[in-house]
Amino acid sequence: MNRFVFGLVVLGLAQAQDVRQIVAESQKRSQSKSEQYEGTIEVFGSSNKVSLKHWEFERIGSFGVSKSILRFTAPAEVKGVALLIVNHPDRSSDQWMWTPALERDRHIALQDRSTRFFGTDFSFEDLEERDVNQFDYKLLGEELVDGQQCWKIESKPKEAKSSQYTSAVLFIRKDIYVGIQIESYAKDKLVRRIRYSDIQKLDDIWTARTIEVYDANRKSRTVLKLEKLKYNVPMKDENFTLEALRRG
Amino acid sequence: MILLKLISWPYIRKHLLRWMLTIAGIVLGVAVFLGMHTANQSVLYAFRQTVDRIAGSTQLQVSASETGFDESVLERVQSVPEVRAAAPVIEASVNTGLKGQGNILILGVDMTGDRNLRDYELESGEAGIVDDPLVFLAQPDSIIVTDTFARQNQLGIGSKVPMSTMEGEKLFTVRGIMKSSGLSSAFGGNLAIMDIYATQKVFGRGRRFDRIDLTVKDGARVEDVKKKIEGMLGPSFQVESPSARGGQFESISHVYALTANITSAFALFIGMFLIYNTFQISVTQRRSEIGILRALGATRGQIRTLFMGESVLAGLIGSTLGVLLGIGIARLMLGYIGSLLGEVFGIAEKAKEISTNPALILFAIVLGVITSVVAAFIPARNAARVDPVQALQKGKYQQMSAGENRVRRITAFVIAILGVACLVFRQSHGLVYAGDALTLLAALLLTPTVAQLVVQALRPLLRWVRPVEGTLAADSLLQAPRRTSGAVAALMLSLALVVALGGMTRASYGSILNWLSVALNPDLFISTSESLTTRGFRFPESMGPQLSGVSGVADVQGVRIARIQVRGMQTIFVAADIAALSRRATLPPTAGNTAEMYRLASQGKAVLISDNYALLRGVKLGDVLDIASPRGVLHLPVAGVVVDYSDQQGSILLDRSVYKRYWDDSTVNLFRVFLTPGASETDVKRRILEALGNQRRLFVLTNREVRQYIMRLTDQWFGITYVQIAVAVLVAVLGIVNTLTVSITDRRRELGVLQAVGGLRNQIRRTIWLEALTIGLVGLILGLALGALQLYFGLRITGEDLAGLRLNYEYPYEISLMLLPVILLAAFLSAIGPAESAVHGSLVEALEYE
Amino acid sequence: MIDLAKVSKVFNGKRQVTALENVELSIGRGEMVSIVGPSGSGKSTLLNLIGGLDTPTSGKITIDGSLLSGLPDDDLTRMRRDKIGFIFQFFNLLPTLNCIENVSIPLHLRGWPKKKIDERARELLNLVGLGGRMDHLPDELSGGERQRCAIARALSVYPPVLLADEPTGNLDTHTGADILKLIRDVHARLGATVLIVTHDRNVAESCGRVITLRDGRVVEDRAGLGLTA
Repeated sequence: MNRFVFGLVVLGLAQAQDVRQIVAESQKRSQSKSEQYEGTIEVFGSSNKVSLKHWEFERIGSFGVSKSILRFTAPAEVKGVALLIVNHPDRSSDQWMWTPALERDRHIALQDRSTRFFGTDFSFEDLEERDVNQFDYKLLGEELVDGQQCWKIESKPKEAKSSQYTSAVLFIRKDIYVGIQIESYAKDKLVRRIRYSDIQKLDDIWTARTIEVYDANRKSRTVLKLEKLKYNVPMKDENFTLEALRRG
Repeated sequence: MILLKLISWPYIRKHLLRWMLTIAGIVLGVAVFLGMHTANQSVLYAFRQTVDRIAGSTQLQVSASETGFDESVLERVQSVPEVRAAAPVIEASVNTGLKGQGNILILGVDMTGDRNLRDYELESGEAGIVDDPLVFLAQPDSIIVTDTFARQNQLGIGSKVPMSTMEGEKLFTVRGIMKSSGLSSAFGGNLAIMDIYATQKVFGRGRRFDRIDLTVKDGARVEDVKKKIEGMLGPSFQVESPSARGGQFESISHVYALTANITSAFALFIGMFLIYNTFQISVTQRRSEIGILRALGATRGQIRTLFMGESVLAGLIGSTLGVLLGIGIARLMLGYIGSLLGEVFGIAEKAKEISTNPALILFAIVLGVITSVVAAFIPARNAARVDPVQALQKGKYQQMSAGENRVRRITAFVIAILGVACLVFRQSHGLVYAGDALTLLAALLLTPTVAQLVVQALRPLLRWVRPVEGTLAADSLLQAPRRTSGAVAALMLSLALVVALGGMTRASYGSILNWLSVALNPDLFISTSESLTTRGFRFPESMGPQLSGVSGVADVQGVRIARIQVRGMQTIFVAADIAALSRRATLPPTAGNTAEMYRLASQGKAVLISDNYALLRGVKLGDVLDIASPRGVLHLPVAGVVVDYSDQQGSILLDRSVYKRYWDDSTVNLFRVFLTPGASETDVKRRILEALGNQRRLFVLTNREVRQYIMRLTDQWFGITYVQIAVAVLVAVLGIVNTLTVSITDRRRELGVLQAVGGLRNQIRRTIWLEALTIGLVGLILGLALGALQLYFGLRITGEDLAGLRLNYEYPYEISLMLLPVILLAAFLSAIGPAESAVHGSLVEALEYE
Repeated sequence: MIDLAKVSKVFNGKRQVTALENVELSIGRGEMVSIVGPSGSGKSTLLNLIGGLDTPTSGKITIDGSLLSGLPDDDLTRMRRDKIGFIFQFFNLLPTLNCIENVSIPLHLRGWPKKKIDERARELLNLVGLGGRMDHLPDELSGGERQRCAIARALSVYPPVLLADEPTGNLDTHTGADILKLIRDVHARLGATVLIVTHDRNVAESCGRVITLRDGRVVEDRAGLGLTA
């Protein structure tokens, strides 16, 4: 699963012990050296005018030290546009965007992380990798989601971490430690709900192949499907640089 | 108050027409004052609003004069911890191919990071205006337009809009429409948003930004952040709050505002004169009434109050009407000022609504009332001095005493001497103004005497024209010097102003033409826009050799023109290869040694400044200018002062090598191209367009076209002068109408006697016509003479305080010749009404003594 | 010489005032007639109508055989300047012109050549006894002298009719008598028909015929008592 785009709110371990360990275990189980897939993203909303888009995605490294490149392949208007994302363990990621029509790259200054990601229902913050250590957790109980028994865990950002959300509720499957739903709240009001479905085991990693975000304000949802997903494919570091981005 | 109602009202009602004519002076003065200022302020207000709206929540703006700066500055600004958000901006004023739309302001912003500074969104704040942001960014032809603009041009999402770019006219695609509020109502809706990197590419801005808008973090003081960024970036950058940018515009409109003030002051002055004149006559006419009031126990104070009350009333009515007329004038002028500023200064601003300023309106009204009261002061005093016994005697008019005449002549003489003294010792500006004022005053005081002399001299001529009527007319004018001199003085002042303005226009024209022929000698000019003032686009330096390669081209000079802050003022810098320039044209220096100054300047060791810069800023030969550049502060001495009219506020000429080095900018605004002998302009122009025209947007202008363009600009600037001339002529006509109307009513009995002893209607008519024509002629003679003097002062004032032009004295004969028929015709037309009313009144009534 | 048939004059102001009502009057050539009556009796109105300064509401006025009613303004003026001389109570001299210029005005208006005007003006001023004051301005003359000057002006073309509206009204008794004497002289020498509107009984009775008006009607028309003032 794509570490960057849905920089998972990944989770771990058993109840009575430590809630935090459940989340940590979940993060640990989803770890891989590299990843590649072809994504399709589509927005379903009443006033939606955002076109269906395809992209190719590659990642090297994981949690905190990963680098990814995302290249749009369709439709024609956006073909060739690419993003380079460099994650840092201690601060927000650096992102560059390449637009072939302009023949130049730009550094995307993520000064407002509640901004929506290119017209979809995801905000940039939703797409960031989050580290277990940045949140405080509280176990709220257990609940059945999609017929699966889940831990229901509340996470609140620590003081140092700025977020548009005041809290989130994570649902982590008890059997395979995979998060399948996140509800994000701002002042007790639901802002977004992200569901992870179509879960398959690939290279020993349980992976959601369909991710759906629902924006409660706009009453609109966006669906991301991951195709041809592979983990631990050999990749070279030099393919994740600005020069590589410009090469296309 | 009761007196006012009881005594004044019936009189005013009876002479309503005369009253209206009298206050017309005030109406005109107030209207011109309010109109011109309101129009100016409206444009200013619109500009400020534009600045505010574009700025959004921006607290500070970082800019580097007009030259822009490298992209890397953005990261440095963003790295300041107190900066919450910083977003780059490029502004480009671009010609749209859409009919009737003219220029549109393109705001290039970083669409991925800018949203927290500016609100482009619909009122909901959530639904984006851009349907598909990724498509918007991926396609460099994407623009967001305002819904006003979209509506005006029937545009929708996906519509194409043609715009001039570096690469010629291109079609842009509307990919978003913003609602007309906030940002989008700036510029009257003629605003479009583009991705900043697309803007750079399409409009040839390289990897540079014009500006960085930023907000500071909560808890940080804006002033501290400003200092911190200033310290970090150095003196070539300006860090200012958005509202401070309005100031730049204000300094530009300063000259204009001054001109408006002069015109309205003049109109009010004449208005004052008209009121004085009417009141004086009204006092004479109402002598018996005043006598009766005094006999009935009215004090002198009460009589004075009565007349002052009337003047306040006249002032109030006049000012109120003036305010209404002024707002009308403002509406008419709005477009003109907008386009003037656009063409002359390259600032496109559209004000669609006039913004009335209550304080300004109040000031205008107070101004009108004060003018009226001041004008009525002397007549009111005279009224208070009326001797009741004398006043009640029938059939006697008070004559101006010989003593009064003598005193006036002596005063005039003394004032004239003082005026001359001011001229002789005219070291300071103040003395020039004082000399001007004294000359005017002396002229006014001498008007009755001189007018009498001129009428005496004209008497034979009049008799020759019409023996009977001519003599009668001349005698009637001679018998009432006060009546005559009022009109003559008003006319004289107006015409003097016309002559002075005309002369200044002519002189400016002359010197601009002269400069054009010396400095603008290239055969072809290659510009990025059809108007040379728009500096939105630049050419890469590499275009120079390409141009040199075109056959028929002998010499190519690249020029970079930019506004750079020097001594706290945005100043036009002309960066050119001075050695090459001097080979082709030697600008005549007004100070400095020609060879030496060109040598030093071409080595980059000195700058040349324009004549007007030297005068306006008080900079002398040898002074050292400190010019802040991105590479540190330059200290360059002034090696020469040359005549150059590139900019009204003055310009600085430096070698382009220095500019390239210190501003890190090798682009060029303009190429000056000289042809080989025998090469045809049109052929070379065609070859240049063939060779380069399809690669980039360029305009090849021939020398003649550039001259015409500059003369058109000059004409436009002098448009204000023509307004002034029109006002002056209008006031002159008003003066004649007023005086004649007054004079005819005043002389009803006399005209009655003439008819009783056998004067035919036609004889009476012709007499009045001839009188009017004589007043016109006398006014013309005196006005043209006084104008000669005023022109001298006018030239000195423009020279030293306004535009810094050193102008030659040349009397505007054409305008004077043109005035002759205009004024005589006006005099004749204004005499028709009074003449008819004189011959159609009842003879019995005219002859009666009440 | 002067014939009035059923002449009425009504002024239409806020209140209708009948100044003259059905006046029938015939004055022969060379007569010297005075018109008397209290204020508002219509004396001046009558004079103004005869002089063509005003037009009657109804009725016909004939002067020297020509009918005034219906004449266009310019013809009326021509009639006036050829046949009628006016003498006013307040002289109505133009203050900026000297005696000779004031007397010359009517001649100027007739377009006489300069030399002839000058001759005639001098002749007239000598006639009225102002031969030594030709270059004086009205301000520099006494009341009697001003009236003499005005009479000279009225006589400029030796009109057959001389109309005088209170010619002595603004003068002291002695001067008034002088002026009356002058008018009688002129009458005798030139044979003009003279009409004098007056309040002064002595002046009235010195005329050959005295017409009394009251409320716009002729109430008495008799021979003068021949008293000389």
